[in-house]
Amino acid sequence: MCFISVLTLALALFATQPVPAAEADSRATVEKLHAVLIETMQQSGVLGYKGRVEKLAPVLQELFEFEAIARLVTGRYWTTLNSAKRSEFIEVFKRLSAATYAENFDGFGGEHFETRAVEDKKNAQLVKTALVKTDGKEVSLNYLLVKSGEMWRIVNVVAEGVSDLSLKRAEYTAVIGSSGIDALIAKLNAKVASYAATPAT
Amino acid sequence: MQTGRIHAATVALIVSVLGSGCASTAPKSADPTDSLEGMNRSFYSFNDSLDKNFFEPIARGYVKVAPTPVRGSVTKFFENVNYLNIITNDLLQGKGGQFASDTGRFLVNSTMGIGGLFDPATSLGMPEHDEDTGQTLGTWGANEGTYLVLPLMGPSSVRDLPDAATSMLLNPLTYLNAIVTLPLGVLNAINTRANLLEASSIRDQAALDPYTFVREAYRQQREYKIYDGNPPGDGFEDYVEGDADAAILKIY
Repeated sequence: MCFISVLTLALALFATQPVPAAEADSRATVEKLHAVLIETMQQSGVLGYKGRVEKLAPVLQELFEFEAIARLVTGRYWTTLNSAKRSEFIEVFKRLSAATYAENFDGFGGEHFETRAVEDKKNAQLVKTALVKTDGKEVSLNYLLVKSGEMWRIVNVVAEGVSDLSLKRAEYTAVIGSSGIDALIAKLNAKVASYAATPAT
Repeated sequence: MQTGRIHAATVALIVSVLGSGCASTAPKSADPTDSLEGMNRSFYSFNDSLDKNFFEPIARGYVKVAPTPVRGSVTKFFENVNYLNIITNDLLQGKGGQFASDTGRFLVNSTMGIGGLFDPATSLGMPEHDEDTGQTLGTWGANEGTYLVLPLMGPSSVRDLPDAATSMLLNPLTYLNAIVTLPLGVLNAINTRANLLEASSIRDQAALDPYTFVREAYRQQREYKIYDGNPPGDGFEDYVEGDADAAILKIY
């Protein structure tokens, strides 16, 4: 009896031993996003576009490091923006992210996500995953995360080698350079409005 | 077919010269390797206009009439006839195991797979690979060179140009009579465009400036392919460009 108690206690202790914290956390962040995306796809019809935005927006807010993303996508122009402009840009960027996910994850075809590896990078971690479709075809999705407060948050998504951050930086800095930050904010607002006006479902 | 291409290229050139005045109003690239941006943007507009008015509607019609398995087999057929180019580049990159597997794949799919319409090779342990002469030059250390947008063909670069020649010379269809190759070429173009409908729809939705969007996506995907899906870097430090970025590294 005593032996069983000790064994139980040992097992309980073993079970609560944390796996290497950094790896578990960055992986947990990505897997939480994936779980919510699958749920959103499965409930797509019931939720509708607006429902999908409402479901996704708070999750993205929690899991993405939007300030770092905003700094990186505006490149050298970030330091030229006052705090009100920075906040305005971050806000529209958050709304655009939710709208983009809501638009693209609009139906469920039996696909699932698999986490393949977690790699340490300088000041960051890379979580390598794949979206596996029912026909076995895969889309590689790699996430770059930074430690932000108590958790690891996403700063970049690389789909089949194409970095979202790099694409946005190239476009955004071109627009700011030629027309200014207000023009960029106006374009992003228009983009959000266009998603809302013609959602896929 | 060649005459048609040359004619279209001439028209595109004229359009690009006429349209070059418009290019200056577009956002300027800070990228020094896009030194032909004015001309590239003109060709991009030409291709885009042709696509929106001609190829895309045809591709949508094709998707409606051709069932998914048929389109799948058409795709496999054209992938298979392009396989000698892949096998050659396996060899040029020194990928011995992949060369053997891809040679087996080509033979199996050309015979058991009825001219490549089906893909029994994958289930026999000979998966598909994606190599081309541009990737080979990349693995040999060649830089991308100037970014190019080719009329009708789309995004390319100086490094990727030679592949247009090798993929044509190593394609068995090139050596058949035009009566066969012309309709097949048309089918390939429509089927390829149909396979890109989802990607172009994402581009149309997401891009603020589709030209820049396509250029960056093209370059990154080429880099990704050259390194077979494992490009160096991938870390946060890749994004350090100026003081603002460096400040972020200190925060995190």
